[in-house]
Amino acid sequence: MNAMTTMAQLRDVVLDPAKRRHYQLAWLSTVDHKRIGVLYMLTGLFFFIVGGIEALFIRLQLAVPNNHLLAADTFNQLFTMHGTTMIFLVAMPLLFGFVNYILPLQIGARDMAFPRLNAFGYWCQPFGGILMHFSILAGGAPAVGWFSYAPLSETPYSSSPGIDYWAIALFVLGLGTISFAVNTIATVISCRAPGMTIRRLPLFTWMNFVNSFLILIALPVLNAGLAMILIDRRLDGHFFLPFRGGSAVLWQHIFWAFGHPEVYIVAVPAFGMIAEMIPVFSRKPIFGYEAVAASTVAIVVLSSLVWGHHMFTVGMGRAMDMFFIITSMLIAIPTGVKVLNWSATMVGGRIRFSVPMLFCIAFLVQFTCAGLTGISHASAALDWQTKNSYFLVAHFHFVFVGAIIFAMLGALPYWFPKMSGRMMSESLGQWTFWLWVIGFNMTFIIQHVLGLYGMPRRIFTYPDIPGWGWMNMVSTIGVFFMGAGSLVMIWNLAQSFFRGKPAGDNPWDGWTLEWATSSPPPHENFLALPPIHSRRPLWDIANPDRPDPVVGDDQVVLPDHNKTGILAFLFSEVGFFGTLILAYLYFYAHPRPGPGPKELDVARTLVFSVCLFASSFTFWRSEVAMHKQRRESMLGWLALTIALGAVFLGGQANEYWKLFYTGVDLSTNMFSTTFFTLTGFHGLHVLIGLITLLLFLWMAWQGDSAYAKYDDAFKCVGYYWHFVDVVWVFVLFTVYLLPLLR
Amino acid sequence: MTTYQFFTTAWTWNWIALSLVILSSVSYWLAFGRRGSPLYFAGAIVVFLLALVSPLSALASGYVFSAHMVQHILLVLIVPALLLLSLPRSFSLSSPFTHLTYPFVGWAAGVGAMWLWHAPALCDAAATSRSVSAIQTTSLLLMGSLFWWQVLAPREEQRLSPPAAIIYLFTACTACSVLGIILTFSPVSICPVYQQPVDRLGILSTIRGDWGLTSDRDQQIGGLLMWVPMCAIYAAAILAQMARWHSPTQQERSNA
Repeated sequence: MNAMTTMAQLRDVVLDPAKRRHYQLAWLSTVDHKRIGVLYMLTGLFFFIVGGIEALFIRLQLAVPNNHLLAADTFNQLFTMHGTTMIFLVAMPLLFGFVNYILPLQIGARDMAFPRLNAFGYWCQPFGGILMHFSILAGGAPAVGWFSYAPLSETPYSSSPGIDYWAIALFVLGLGTISFAVNTIATVISCRAPGMTIRRLPLFTWMNFVNSFLILIALPVLNAGLAMILIDRRLDGHFFLPFRGGSAVLWQHIFWAFGHPEVYIVAVPAFGMIAEMIPVFSRKPIFGYEAVAASTVAIVVLSSLVWGHHMFTVGMGRAMDMFFIITSMLIAIPTGVKVLNWSATMVGGRIRFSVPMLFCIAFLVQFTCAGLTGISHASAALDWQTKNSYFLVAHFHFVFVGAIIFAMLGALPYWFPKMSGRMMSESLGQWTFWLWVIGFNMTFIIQHVLGLYGMPRRIFTYPDIPGWGWMNMVSTIGVFFMGAGSLVMIWNLAQSFFRGKPAGDNPWDGWTLEWATSSPPPHENFLALPPIHSRRPLWDIANPDRPDPVVGDDQVVLPDHNKTGILAFLFSEVGFFGTLILAYLYFYAHPRPGPGPKELDVARTLVFSVCLFASSFTFWRSEVAMHKQRRESMLGWLALTIALGAVFLGGQANEYWKLFYTGVDLSTNMFSTTFFTLTGFHGLHVLIGLITLLLFLWMAWQGDSAYAKYDDAFKCVGYYWHFVDVVWVFVLFTVYLLPLLR
Repeated sequence: MTTYQFFTTAWTWNWIALSLVILSSVSYWLAFGRRGSPLYFAGAIVVFLLALVSPLSALASGYVFSAHMVQHILLVLIVPALLLLSLPRSFSLSSPFTHLTYPFVGWAAGVGAMWLWHAPALCDAAATSRSVSAIQTTSLLLMGSLFWWQVLAPREEQRLSPPAAIIYLFTACTACSVLGIILTFSPVSICPVYQQPVDRLGILSTIRGDWGLTSDRDQQIGGLLMWVPMCAIYAAAILAQMARWHSPTQQERSNA
């Protein structure tokens, strides 16, 4: 009887048209991974149009010599915004949208591990995008290139607030991206369906899982750099100002330590799409699953070792150039392994030349060209000649457009039927394909030649040098083809959404789990999951007489998603504090006149540090008491933990006060800039920890039973609190104890 | 002294090392015979001699920081790994040592071997005093063995599972890269001995002149060696773990 009424209530909620309409309007408050995925993609599409129009204006300005369509400064703003928009507001949200929609389906999960965190991550995207574009109204967009090289990006040289908006917007976007990566890792580790062992993951899921670690390695480095440049600009710090003792080259190191992995952060999800589509349209399992999976890991490890190849012309010295040349060439191997495997998958397959497959083939060709020009840049001697020329522009557009955009243009018709329940038009898709292939190659092949002829990038116009005019004109005409292709694509999307052919569950005869549910999937994703014993569960169902070989055993270990999530987050914090500590050490090794570590009161700080370390012990006691359901004891230890943390913060505040009193503030010299930044960010983390602990204290105070169910959450706060203490061990050593050893 | 003369004459016939090599070879043969993998053992011996007897050793003892770094990497990463691989699959540690095989101990030993011996005072002492150098060599071999035990222990069940081993190797790689980055960018000398070497062999002018190794560039190369090729070793080990993860289980093999 009871069960009957709940069923009836459930049916009411699901089937009542009025309530359903309410849920359909609730896109703004949604935490469903499918809707968030669609929102990501729509945001990306919107900014794709914005960035595309910016590109159009750039090319129109460059179409003929001595053109005066745009002023020089407007041109600078346009190429800065075009680069930043296309990478952070187009490539990333579009790719994350696909991942958000498809990844949980592929592993048979109901949703992402943290649906609300997922919504937070999404809303960072439009918020960051609006912030960045708001700079146009606030005195001019940033005009210093997407990498914002110091010291040009510093206040004395760029006084308009454009760069402040740029930095804050990227910070917001970075937070969203990190939360997305944390969520992806927790989802893959903790939310897999029975039988879906890691060894059986579809390659799209595997690559995005591995890629999330790369995000956690790279993005915090950028965030630390953005914090530094904001401190320089807003609080009068000197990190990147050479004439005040800072280092402009340090910014390049920080930016490219993020920037090169970033290329792979947007490329690896695209590789994942290709690795899904090529086997399905070749009617063959992927050639060398293990090699493709392992080469992704190799890419992640190597990609954080190659950033120096962006800086050959800076003058790092021959020794450093040599090492970066070698690593940059090494990374071509795992990438080459992938291309080889995709090509080998097609050999002997019964290939269906549908639109997704056409884009895959174009991807293989264009990406191989991009790789070859990339290798040429790995050689420093050649790089000195072609750096900052249109040869380089052509190279990275081959990567971003020829590889990543093409992969997404293919993935769209591939997964659109799953998302909407309707097929996209094949003939319009063909139009999109040919317009893009012709336009893309027209625009960018000739730019290689232009670069070798010596045309530098980032010039707003050029004199009438023989050859330059017509080549630039060809390049500009190509843009119109790509624009037309995009319009056809958008028209195709719109009309297919309303009038497309119904798709059915599995229109492409795919083998992965997303094709095992209805199109579009129900709110809970799966009504029933098929048995999973291999990498192609749907193949096994369709061909019971010759199933795929069973991969490993069926036992799935699913660690708690809260712990996985917080550990992934703390992993990203290591990169953030690591960058700050290394920056501190860098300037510590180049001492400047003025205040230095000798101003600090080491003995007193040691006493306060003992308080902080003791708080880790008291927290552990509190955790034990909570586990044993002893409320009073738990409250006591927790209150003591908070008190110890507060004493530490008070000690820090006192130290700051004494320094201010003697006239030392953030802008005094390099020591004070780095000291206040490093200890300040640590103090901020202690403060956030304290607020969280107070919240728990309040909850435990409120009632006997209310807090008991938060046992896991309490443990996660514990991880955070211990982590902050461990960071202080390193800060204490670097800032306070290292000078004593000298 | 020219480069040619140097490489033909500067072999350090270190009697302790040589007798140790002979002693361990004999005991290896007596204990395991062909049950182990003598090829790996021979490899370990060759690399060990390369590090301690060849001209590399002469350069490392007070002349060239980057040569010291090569020696360091060989002794902590290559020799112990080869030694562990040479042991027969049935080998296991006797019980008093088992507490040394916690993953954290291994990790701390591997990373500590890098950081500890590059504290300026210790680094200088090891480059000038023979007895400190002997202690250093022994400790590097031991710490390296503890580090690799987690990944290359003779028995499969004593090794970390592949995903855990990947995290283990990756974090160790990061911890060592950080030191490499510090060495590369540090304007101060980490081992001041190498800045003004005592020219025992009369080779200094060749090193500074013909080879172009100024003391700054020398330290930079040393840091880069720790940062990049060492990470490549860890990366190779990570790939080997991927291969191990994906290698067919007993059951899959019997099905096929």
